[in-house]
Amino acid sequence: MPLQKLLKAEWSGLLLVVTLAIILIGYLKPSFLTPFNIQILLAAISVNMVIALAQMLIVGIGQMNLSVGAIGGLVAISFAGLMDVFQLPIPLAVLVGLLIGLAAGLFNGVIIAFTGISAFIITLASLSVFKGINLGITEAQPFYGVAESVKSFGNSSFIGTLPLLILPALLALIGVWFLLNRMRFGRHVLAVGASPTAAGLVGISVRNIVIGTHALSGLLAAVAGMMVVARLQIGQPTIGDDWLILSFAAPVIGGAVLAGGHVNVIGTLLGVTTIAIITQALVLFEIDPFIVQIFLGLLILWAVGINRLRDLRLTLFSKPA
Amino acid sequence: MASAQESSLSTNSRDRSSIRNFFFSNEFGLLFLILVFATIFALLTTGFTSRFNLYALGRNISIDVVIGFSMMVVIVTGGLNLSVGSIGVSAVMFGGWLIEGMGSNLPIALILLLLGGGLLGAVNGVMVVRTGVHSFIITLATMSVYFGLMIWLTQAEAFRNLPPEVATFGRTKIYGYLSPLLLISLGVAIMLAVLYRYTSLGRNMLAAGANPTAAELSGVNVKRTFILCHALSGLLAALAATMLTCRTGAAIPSMTGHIGQDWLLPAFLAPVLGGTLLSGGKVSVLGTFFGAVLVSLLTNGLLLLQVSEFWVQAVLGALLLSAVLLEKLRNVVLLQNRFI
Repeated sequence: MPLQKLLKAEWSGLLLVVTLAIILIGYLKPSFLTPFNIQILLAAISVNMVIALAQMLIVGIGQMNLSVGAIGGLVAISFAGLMDVFQLPIPLAVLVGLLIGLAAGLFNGVIIAFTGISAFIITLASLSVFKGINLGITEAQPFYGVAESVKSFGNSSFIGTLPLLILPALLALIGVWFLLNRMRFGRHVLAVGASPTAAGLVGISVRNIVIGTHALSGLLAAVAGMMVVARLQIGQPTIGDDWLILSFAAPVIGGAVLAGGHVNVIGTLLGVTTIAIITQALVLFEIDPFIVQIFLGLLILWAVGINRLRDLRLTLFSKPA
Repeated sequence: MASAQESSLSTNSRDRSSIRNFFFSNEFGLLFLILVFATIFALLTTGFTSRFNLYALGRNISIDVVIGFSMMVVIVTGGLNLSVGSIGVSAVMFGGWLIEGMGSNLPIALILLLLGGGLLGAVNGVMVVRTGVHSFIITLATMSVYFGLMIWLTQAEAFRNLPPEVATFGRTKIYGYLSPLLLISLGVAIMLAVLYRYTSLGRNMLAAGANPTAAELSGVNVKRTFILCHALSGLLAALAATMLTCRTGAAIPSMTGHIGQDWLLPAFLAPVLGGTLLSGGKVSVLGTFFGAVLVSLLTNGLLLLQVSEFWVQAVLGALLLSAVLLEKLRNVVLLQNRFI
């Protein structure tokens, strides 16, 4: 029975691909499965998972958030700057970081919900505002004075090779899964994504859902930004610049429907893992790192093609006789 | 086709039914803002009206205008093209390779690089039309693919030994303050205006963008039209990057930022400020032109006012935000006036 259930899951194919890739790469390059390498891989997956979740929620309501990276970057430099310049204790700095992310997400959500202007344009504009504030504060110089315990959090591992960074990622993963599958708010998110009109007619406040989802997205972007600070050991102003493609690639590979209403947390995790494995493999096989960019783009196209085929099959089967 | 033309023409004539509406038009608003800001900058800064600054401003305007057009021609279809920056830099690097690697002469390299840009755009168009997936995700993927291919093939090395004519052209001053690049962008603007107003291809593009089903029923080949829109976008992106190369004198892989992201804001600012409908079917060539002028003017003036270049980006983002909010407000006010 569990096996059948597993095969039925839409991410089963992806799981097979990931497993085969791990076995194949591990066979060809034994260094792939050394504890050190696994730790690097898991740290990358942890950070990217939170970034992908921040975008996945917005894809769930049928919108997009181009400013995920800009929010992450702004929080990252604020977090590092508060510790460096103002010597703020870590919990307080984390709290302020989370609040900035939440506020940035609320800003997006409120404008989109109240004006009805496309999320694309609003988040493109807010991307520039957040990034501009980031550069205005830092003048493109990193903050180096990150607290020692934050640095060690980004570097240490527990139970053998598990990086500590996996803890916030797991928390986010379980939280979002629980939200979307077990909580009223999450079900409403998907309902709004599937059809805002229908959701509105059954009494869901579309406006509140849009605002709440964007606020959550900002919060997750903030968590990701602070995780990157812990991993890089400095507050780089460029943090978040390269999140855009990744944040869309992982949910789409994981089976998210861009029109909204359908996202998959486990699929997104496998999408993030696929990307991390490919990136690692290119490094291990000493293939030009520039190729990563090509692979990411092709992965999106491939995933879109697969999703398209699945949709076609579904519509064929669901046609009334 | 005829009925689609008529419907879009009648919308136009209704828009123009009263002269009062002209003063509510985007073009007028932009012109007003341009004049206001130009006056403010001329009064508050010392260098704004200097010949050199006007020359530099004109050069920036000309490039921003073409970047804006490269996005506008796709927004017509109700889609977008995130890969303009990637296409632009890829095309220019291709041209640089033709000249330095293959010893090709300048005119041939120029033609081939423009066609190359058009081809990359057409690839976007074919994939959008064939899969039916929104152009956002297709061009998001290709912006990564094109940029990755370019940076892999060039190994991130710039082409700095271009023929001297390239840099000379970028430095040329007509009457001491006019850049020839400005004439190119004016030429492109006129051609686009003619395309959308007087040619059946341009009218088909508008009709297909406004309502694909109706256009298809009226005999427009919507798929082919959309592919042409994307190809035109790629061509214009290549042209904009070529103009940028004339200004810098070299073809540099990072000239449009990581995966071409730096062009996204200027590319959307100009058409959106200019009143191009994001849902497709309506363009304003003049509005996009004015939009790009306003953006370049603000950037230039703020820098002269000693605003750090880092804050200028925040201001431009805020400008886009306030522009769409004002537009929304204007529509609400106009709608209420009509009904009361």
